[in-house]
Amino acid sequence: MSSAALAAPAPPNRSRILAHPQDLHCIAFHAICLLAYACAFWLYLHPRFAGITGPWSRAAFVAAAAVMLGWISGIDVGVNFHNHSHRPIFTSHFVNRWFGRFWTFSGGWPSFFWEYCHVTIHHANLLTADDWTLPKQNPDGSFENFQRYLFTHWPWRLMVHLWRDLTARQSLRRRSSRELAIFLALWSIPFWINPVMAIWLWVLPHWIANAFIMNSGMYVQHAGCVVKTPAKPVTHSTVFVSNFFNLTMFNIGFHHEHHEHPRVHWSELPELHWRLKQAMIDGGTHVVPYGNYHAAFLLAGDDARQKRFAEQDSNYTPHL
Amino acid sequence: MRRLMHTFLSKTRLAFGRSFFPLFAIAIIAGAALWGPWVSLLVTVLAFGAALRLL
Repeated sequence: MSSAALAAPAPPNRSRILAHPQDLHCIAFHAICLLAYACAFWLYLHPRFAGITGPWSRAAFVAAAAVMLGWISGIDVGVNFHNHSHRPIFTSHFVNRWFGRFWTFSGGWPSFFWEYCHVTIHHANLLTADDWTLPKQNPDGSFENFQRYLFTHWPWRLMVHLWRDLTARQSLRRRSSRELAIFLALWSIPFWINPVMAIWLWVLPHWIANAFIMNSGMYVQHAGCVVKTPAKPVTHSTVFVSNFFNLTMFNIGFHHEHHEHPRVHWSELPELHWRLKQAMIDGGTHVVPYGNYHAAFLLAGDDARQKRFAEQDSNYTPHL
Repeated sequence: MRRLMHTFLSKTRLAFGRSFFPLFAIAIIAGAALWGPWVSLLVTVLAFGAALRLL
Protein backbone atom coordinates (compact mmCIF):
# COMPACT_ATOMS: atom_id res chain seq x y z
CA MET A 1 0.00 0.00 0.00
CA SER A 2 1.67 3.25 -1.11
CA SER A 3 1.39 6.62 0.65
CA ALA A 4 -0.78 7.87 -2.20
CA ALA A 5 -3.06 4.89 -1.82
CA LEU A 6 -3.41 5.55 1.90
CA ALA A 7 -4.67 9.05 1.27
CA ALA A 8 -6.79 8.25 -1.75
CA PRO A 9 -10.60 8.19 -1.65
CA ALA A 10 -12.31 4.83 -2.04
CA PRO A 11 -12.13 3.47 -5.58
CA PRO A 12 -15.49 2.95 -7.29
CA ASN A 13 -16.60 -0.66 -7.33
CA ARG A 14 -18.86 -2.72 -9.50
CA SER A 15 -21.88 -2.61 -7.24
CA ARG A 16 -22.10 1.24 -7.43
CA ILE A 17 -24.12 1.14 -4.20
CA LEU A 18 -21.43 0.33 -1.67
CA ALA A 19 -18.19 2.29 -1.53
CA HIS A 20 -16.31 -0.93 -0.65
CA PRO A 21 -17.51 -4.54 -1.09
CA GLN A 22 -16.60 -5.43 2.53
CA ASP A 23 -19.05 -2.79 3.80
CA LEU A 24 -21.85 -5.31 3.24
CA HIS A 25 -20.77 -6.77 6.59
CA CYS A 26 -21.42 -3.39 8.26
CA ILE A 27 -25.00 -3.37 6.97
CA ALA A 28 -25.52 -7.00 8.04
CA PHE A 29 -24.22 -6.20 11.54
CA HIS A 30 -26.59 -3.26 11.96
CA ALA A 31 -29.57 -5.18 10.53
CA ILE A 32 -28.99 -8.06 12.98
CA CYS A 33 -28.75 -5.55 15.85
CA LEU A 34 -32.14 -4.09 14.95
CA LEU A 35 -33.51 -7.63 14.64
CA ALA A 36 -32.23 -8.39 18.16
CA TYR A 37 -34.10 -5.35 19.51
CA ALA A 38 -37.27 -6.41 17.67
CA CYS A 39 -36.91 -9.93 19.07
CA ALA A 40 -36.47 -8.66 22.64
CA PHE A 41 -39.45 -6.29 22.33
CA TRP A 42 -41.68 -9.05 20.97
CA LEU A 43 -40.77 -11.48 23.74
CA TYR A 44 -41.25 -8.77 26.39
CA LEU A 45 -44.74 -8.11 25.02
CA HIS A 46 -45.53 -11.85 24.75
CA PRO A 47 -44.06 -13.05 28.05
CA ARG A 48 -45.42 -16.60 27.99
CA PHE A 49 -43.26 -17.40 24.93
CA ALA A 50 -40.10 -16.42 26.87
CA GLY A 51 -40.97 -18.38 29.98
CA ILE A 52 -41.73 -15.19 31.89
CA THR A 53 -44.10 -16.16 34.68
CA GLY A 54 -43.65 -13.37 37.22
CA PRO A 55 -41.60 -10.32 38.19
CA TRP A 56 -38.41 -12.28 38.91
CA SER A 57 -38.33 -14.19 35.63
CA ARG A 58 -39.17 -10.90 33.85
CA ALA A 59 -36.22 -9.27 35.61
CA ALA A 60 -33.96 -12.15 34.49
CA PHE A 61 -35.09 -11.75 30.87
CA VAL A 62 -34.66 -7.96 30.98
CA ALA A 63 -31.18 -8.23 32.54
CA ALA A 64 -29.97 -10.74 29.93
CA ALA A 65 -31.52 -8.89 27.00
CA ALA A 66 -30.42 -5.42 28.15
CA VAL A 67 -26.80 -6.49 28.59
CA MET A 68 -26.68 -8.23 25.21
CA LEU A 69 -28.45 -5.35 23.43
CA GLY A 70 -26.16 -2.82 25.10
CA TRP A 71 -23.10 -4.84 24.18
CA ILE A 72 -23.97 -5.07 20.49
CA SER A 73 -25.21 -1.46 20.30
CA GLY A 74 -21.90 -0.29 21.72
CA ILE A 75 -20.09 -2.12 18.92
CA ASP A 76 -22.65 -1.08 16.31
CA VAL A 77 -22.15 2.64 17.00
CA GLY A 78 -18.68 2.79 18.56
CA VAL A 79 -17.02 0.59 15.94
CA ASN A 80 -19.36 -0.06 13.03
CA PHE A 81 -20.85 3.43 12.54
CA HIS A 82 -17.45 4.80 13.55
CA ASN A 83 -16.00 3.31 10.36
CA HIS A 84 -18.83 4.86 8.35
CA SER A 85 -18.05 8.28 9.86
CA HIS A 86 -14.53 8.06 8.41
CA ARG A 87 -15.32 6.23 5.17
CA PRO A 88 -19.04 6.44 4.26
CA ILE A 89 -20.18 3.01 3.13
CA PHE A 90 -22.49 4.06 0.29
CA THR A 91 -21.62 5.94 -2.87
CA SER A 92 -24.69 8.19 -2.46
CA HIS A 93 -24.41 11.10 0.01
CA PHE A 94 -28.17 11.06 0.57
CA VAL A 95 -28.18 7.35 1.47
CA ASN A 96 -25.13 7.83 3.70
CA ARG A 97 -26.84 10.61 5.64
CA TRP A 98 -30.13 8.77 6.13
CA PHE A 99 -28.59 5.36 6.81
CA GLY A 100 -26.41 7.06 9.42
CA ARG A 101 -29.48 8.48 11.13
CA PHE A 102 -31.07 5.01 11.24
CA TRP A 103 -27.74 3.58 12.42
CA THR A 104 -26.96 5.52 15.60
CA PHE A 105 -30.46 6.01 17.00
CA SER A 106 -30.31 2.43 18.31
CA GLY A 107 -27.21 3.41 20.29
CA GLY A 108 -28.68 6.56 21.85
CA TRP A 109 -27.01 9.04 19.51
CA PRO A 110 -27.91 11.43 16.69
CA SER A 111 -25.43 10.43 13.96
CA PHE A 112 -24.27 14.01 13.37
CA PHE A 113 -23.46 14.45 17.08
CA TRP A 114 -21.43 11.25 17.23
CA GLU A 115 -19.57 12.14 14.07
CA TYR A 116 -18.83 15.63 15.43
CA CYS A 117 -17.45 14.21 18.71
CA HIS A 118 -15.32 11.61 17.01
CA VAL A 119 -13.99 13.24 13.87
CA THR A 120 -14.03 16.98 14.64
CA ILE A 121 -13.01 16.71 18.29
CA HIS A 122 -11.27 13.39 18.99
CA HIS A 123 -9.28 12.82 15.79
CA ALA A 124 -8.38 16.46 15.26
CA ASN A 125 -7.23 17.05 18.87
CA LEU A 126 -6.07 13.62 20.04
CA LEU A 127 -4.86 13.71 23.67
CA THR A 128 -4.65 17.52 23.76
CA ALA A 129 -6.65 19.68 26.19
CA ASP A 130 -9.24 20.24 23.44
CA ASP A 131 -10.08 16.53 23.15
CA TRP A 132 -13.01 16.48 25.59
CA THR A 133 -14.13 13.06 24.34
CA LEU A 134 -11.31 11.38 26.28
CA PRO A 135 -10.99 11.05 30.08
CA LYS A 136 -9.72 14.11 31.94
CA GLN A 137 -5.98 14.04 32.57
CA ASN A 138 -4.27 14.30 35.94
CA PRO A 139 -1.35 16.76 36.31
CA ASP A 140 1.09 13.91 35.53
CA GLY A 141 -0.71 13.20 32.23
CA SER A 142 -2.39 10.00 33.40
CA PHE A 143 -6.12 9.50 32.89
CA GLU A 144 -8.69 10.06 35.62
CA ASN A 145 -10.18 7.07 37.42
CA PHE A 146 -11.66 4.48 35.02
CA GLN A 147 -15.02 4.19 36.79
CA ARG A 148 -15.44 7.96 37.12
CA TYR A 149 -15.05 8.37 33.36
CA LEU A 150 -17.49 5.54 32.63
CA PHE A 151 -20.24 6.95 34.81
CA THR A 152 -19.86 10.67 34.15
CA HIS A 153 -18.98 10.97 30.46
CA TRP A 154 -22.14 9.82 28.64
CA PRO A 155 -24.48 11.66 28.58
CA TRP A 156 -23.64 14.22 31.27
CA ARG A 157 -20.28 15.70 30.23
CA LEU A 158 -21.05 15.18 26.57
CA MET A 159 -24.28 17.17 26.79
CA VAL A 160 -22.44 20.16 28.28
CA HIS A 161 -19.68 20.10 25.66
CA LEU A 162 -22.04 19.51 22.76
CA TRP A 163 -24.33 22.31 23.92
CA ARG A 164 -21.39 24.75 24.07
CA ASP A 165 -19.94 23.71 20.71
CA LEU A 166 -23.07 23.21 18.65
CA THR A 167 -24.84 26.37 19.76
CA ALA A 168 -21.81 28.56 19.15
CA ARG A 169 -22.45 29.10 15.43
CA GLN A 170 -25.77 29.63 13.70
CA SER A 171 -25.10 27.12 10.90
CA LEU A 172 -24.16 24.42 13.40
CA ARG A 173 -27.12 25.32 15.63
CA ARG A 174 -29.60 24.92 12.78
CA ARG A 175 -28.17 21.60 11.63
CA SER A 176 -27.91 20.26 15.18
CA SER A 177 -31.53 21.13 15.91
CA ARG A 178 -32.70 19.33 12.76
CA GLU A 179 -30.60 16.24 13.53
CA LEU A 180 -31.78 16.20 17.15
CA ALA A 181 -35.42 16.39 16.03
CA ILE A 182 -34.96 13.47 13.60
CA PHE A 183 -33.18 11.49 16.32
CA LEU A 184 -35.91 12.12 18.90
CA ALA A 185 -38.61 11.07 16.42
CA LEU A 186 -36.82 7.76 15.80
CA TRP A 187 -35.65 7.20 19.37
CA SER A 188 -39.16 7.69 20.78
CA ILE A 189 -40.64 4.79 18.76
CA PRO A 190 -40.29 2.15 21.54
CA PHE A 191 -41.94 4.55 24.02
CA TRP A 192 -45.02 4.69 21.80
CA ILE A 193 -45.17 0.87 21.84
CA ASN A 194 -44.75 0.43 25.61
CA PRO A 195 -43.05 3.04 27.86
CA VAL A 196 -42.00 0.55 30.55
CA MET A 197 -40.51 -1.78 27.95
CA ALA A 198 -38.69 1.22 26.43
CA ILE A 199 -37.04 2.02 29.77
CA TRP A 200 -35.75 -1.54 30.26
CA LEU A 201 -35.01 -2.68 26.70
CA TRP A 202 -34.11 0.63 25.02
CA VAL A 203 -32.80 3.25 27.48
CA LEU A 204 -30.97 0.75 29.71
CA PRO A 205 -29.16 -0.95 26.77
CA HIS A 206 -28.15 2.48 25.46
CA TRP A 207 -26.65 3.36 28.83
CA ILE A 208 -24.78 0.03 28.88
CA ALA A 209 -23.62 0.60 25.29
CA ASN A 210 -22.25 4.03 26.03
CA ALA A 211 -20.95 3.71 29.58
CA PHE A 212 -19.52 0.21 29.47
CA ILE A 213 -18.70 -0.52 25.83
CA MET A 214 -17.94 2.79 24.11
CA ASN A 215 -16.49 4.72 27.08
CA SER A 216 -14.33 1.80 28.19
CA GLY A 217 -13.11 1.47 24.60
CA MET A 218 -12.13 5.14 24.46
CA TYR A 219 -10.34 4.81 27.80
CA VAL A 220 -8.26 1.73 27.00
CA GLN A 221 -7.33 2.85 23.49
CA HIS A 222 -5.41 5.86 24.81
CA ALA A 223 -4.63 5.16 28.49
CA GLY A 224 -0.93 5.60 29.20
CA CYS A 225 -0.36 7.20 25.79
CA VAL A 226 1.08 10.63 25.01
CA VAL A 227 0.18 13.30 22.49
CA LYS A 228 1.88 12.97 19.10
CA THR A 229 5.05 15.04 18.79
CA PRO A 230 8.09 14.85 16.47
CA ALA A 231 10.00 13.25 19.37
CA LYS A 232 7.22 10.71 20.11
CA PRO A 233 5.29 10.18 16.89
CA VAL A 234 3.87 6.67 17.47
CA THR A 235 2.86 6.50 21.14
CA HIS A 236 -0.59 8.11 20.99
CA SER A 237 -2.63 4.90 20.88
CA THR A 238 -2.51 1.29 22.05
CA VAL A 239 -2.69 -1.55 19.53
CA PHE A 240 -4.75 -4.68 20.37
CA VAL A 241 -3.62 -7.61 18.22
CA SER A 242 -6.02 -10.38 19.33
CA ASN A 243 -7.18 -12.12 16.13
CA PHE A 244 -10.64 -13.00 17.46
CA PHE A 245 -11.14 -9.48 18.81
CA ASN A 246 -10.24 -7.91 15.48
CA LEU A 247 -12.32 -10.42 13.51
CA THR A 248 -15.44 -9.62 15.52
CA MET A 249 -14.78 -5.88 16.01
CA PHE A 250 -14.04 -4.66 12.46
CA ASN A 251 -10.28 -4.44 13.16
CA ILE A 252 -10.67 -1.63 15.71
CA GLY A 253 -7.75 -3.15 17.62
CA PHE A 254 -5.37 -1.65 15.07
CA HIS A 255 -5.96 1.69 16.69
CA HIS A 256 -2.60 3.33 16.20
CA GLU A 257 -2.82 2.54 12.49
CA HIS A 258 -6.36 3.93 12.39
CA HIS A 259 -5.36 7.25 13.97
CA GLU A 260 -2.35 7.55 11.69
CA HIS A 261 -4.41 6.82 8.57
CA PRO A 262 -8.13 7.31 9.37
CA ARG A 263 -9.08 7.16 5.67
CA VAL A 264 -7.79 3.62 5.27
CA HIS A 265 -10.70 1.19 5.04
CA TRP A 266 -11.24 -0.90 8.18
CA SER A 267 -10.79 -4.16 6.25
CA GLU A 268 -7.31 -3.04 5.15
CA LEU A 269 -6.00 -2.21 8.63
CA PRO A 270 -4.31 -5.63 9.20
CA GLU A 271 -2.27 -5.11 6.03
CA LEU A 272 -1.37 -1.58 7.16
CA HIS A 273 -0.42 -2.99 10.55
CA TRP A 274 2.20 -5.29 9.02
CA ARG A 275 3.53 -2.43 6.96
CA LEU A 276 3.95 -0.19 10.01
CA LYS A 277 4.99 -2.93 12.43
CA GLN A 278 8.72 -2.22 12.50
CA ALA A 279 8.20 1.53 12.91
CA MET A 280 5.87 0.83 15.83
CA ILE A 281 8.39 -1.49 17.47
CA ASP A 282 11.20 1.03 16.98
CA GLY A 283 9.06 3.94 18.19
CA GLY A 284 7.73 2.16 21.27
CA THR A 285 4.04 1.86 20.41
CA HIS A 286 2.18 0.04 23.18
CA VAL A 287 0.95 -3.31 21.79
CA VAL A 288 -1.01 -5.88 23.80
CA PRO A 289 -2.04 -9.44 22.78
CA TYR A 290 -5.70 -9.14 23.85
CA GLY A 291 -8.62 -6.84 23.03
CA ASN A 292 -10.45 -3.88 24.60
CA TYR A 293 -12.48 -6.00 27.03
CA HIS A 294 -9.57 -7.55 28.90
CA ALA A 295 -7.81 -4.18 28.81
CA ALA A 296 -10.86 -2.63 30.50
CA PHE A 297 -10.78 -5.41 33.10
CA LEU A 298 -7.13 -4.63 33.84
CA LEU A 299 -7.51 -0.85 33.94
CA ALA A 300 -10.58 -1.06 36.18
CA GLY A 301 -8.56 -2.93 38.79
CA ASP A 302 -5.92 -2.15 41.39
CA ASP A 303 -2.31 -1.07 40.73
CA ALA A 304 -1.13 -4.65 40.11
CA ARG A 305 -3.76 -5.18 37.40
CA GLN A 306 -3.03 -1.80 35.84
CA LYS A 307 0.66 -2.68 35.65
CA ARG A 308 -0.24 -5.80 33.66
CA PHE A 309 -1.88 -3.56 31.06
CA ALA A 310 1.36 -1.61 30.69
CA GLU A 311 3.24 -4.80 29.71
CA GLN A 312 4.23 -5.04 26.05
CA ASP A 313 3.35 -7.97 23.75
CA SER A 314 6.53 -10.04 23.48
CA ASN A 315 6.30 -10.02 19.67
CA TYR A 316 6.56 -6.24 19.66
CA THR A 317 9.61 -5.64 21.83
CA PRO A 318 12.68 -4.20 20.11
CA HIS A 319 15.51 -6.70 19.49
CA LEU A 320 18.67 -5.53 21.21
CA MET B 1 -12.69 -26.87 -6.89
CA ARG B 2 -10.55 -26.84 -3.75
CA ARG B 3 -9.76 -23.16 -4.33
CA LEU B 4 -13.46 -22.36 -4.76
CA MET B 5 -14.23 -24.22 -1.55
CA HIS B 6 -11.47 -22.37 0.27
CA THR B 7 -12.77 -19.00 -0.94
CA PHE B 8 -16.32 -19.92 0.05
CA LEU B 9 -15.26 -21.06 3.53
CA SER B 10 -13.08 -17.99 4.00
CA LYS B 11 -15.93 -15.64 3.06
CA THR B 12 -18.40 -17.53 5.26
CA ARG B 13 -16.00 -17.36 8.18
CA LEU B 14 -15.63 -13.61 7.70
CA ALA B 15 -19.38 -13.04 7.41
CA PHE B 16 -20.21 -15.02 10.55
CA GLY B 17 -17.16 -13.79 12.42
CA ARG B 18 -17.94 -10.13 11.88
CA SER B 19 -21.57 -10.61 12.90
CA PHE B 20 -20.65 -12.89 15.80
CA PHE B 21 -21.78 -10.60 18.63
CA PRO B 22 -25.24 -9.65 17.27
CA LEU B 23 -25.89 -13.29 16.25
CA PHE B 24 -24.89 -14.38 19.73
CA ALA B 25 -27.20 -11.72 21.22
CA ILE B 26 -30.14 -13.00 19.16
CA ALA B 27 -29.37 -16.55 20.27
CA ILE B 28 -29.42 -15.46 23.92
CA ILE B 29 -32.58 -13.35 23.62
CA ALA B 30 -34.61 -15.66 21.37
CA GLY B 31 -33.18 -18.66 23.20
CA ALA B 32 -35.16 -17.59 26.26
CA ALA B 33 -38.17 -19.02 24.41
CA LEU B 34 -36.47 -22.43 24.40
CA TRP B 35 -34.68 -22.63 27.73
CA GLY B 36 -36.22 -19.80 29.76
CA PRO B 37 -34.91 -16.44 30.95
CA TRP B 38 -32.73 -17.77 33.76
CA VAL B 39 -30.50 -19.78 31.44
CA SER B 40 -30.21 -16.75 29.15
CA LEU B 41 -29.12 -14.64 32.11
CA LEU B 42 -26.59 -17.24 33.19
CA VAL B 43 -25.08 -17.48 29.69
CA THR B 44 -24.95 -13.67 29.47
CA VAL B 45 -23.06 -13.41 32.76
CA LEU B 46 -20.64 -16.16 31.68
CA ALA B 47 -20.11 -14.58 28.26
CA PHE B 48 -19.44 -11.13 29.70
CA GLY B 49 -17.08 -12.59 32.29
CA ALA B 50 -15.25 -14.57 29.62
CA ALA B 51 -14.87 -11.45 27.45
CA LEU B 52 -13.38 -9.49 30.35
CA ARG B 53 -10.92 -12.29 31.09
CA LEU B 54 -9.97 -13.42 27.60
CA LEU B 55 -10.90 -10.80 25.01
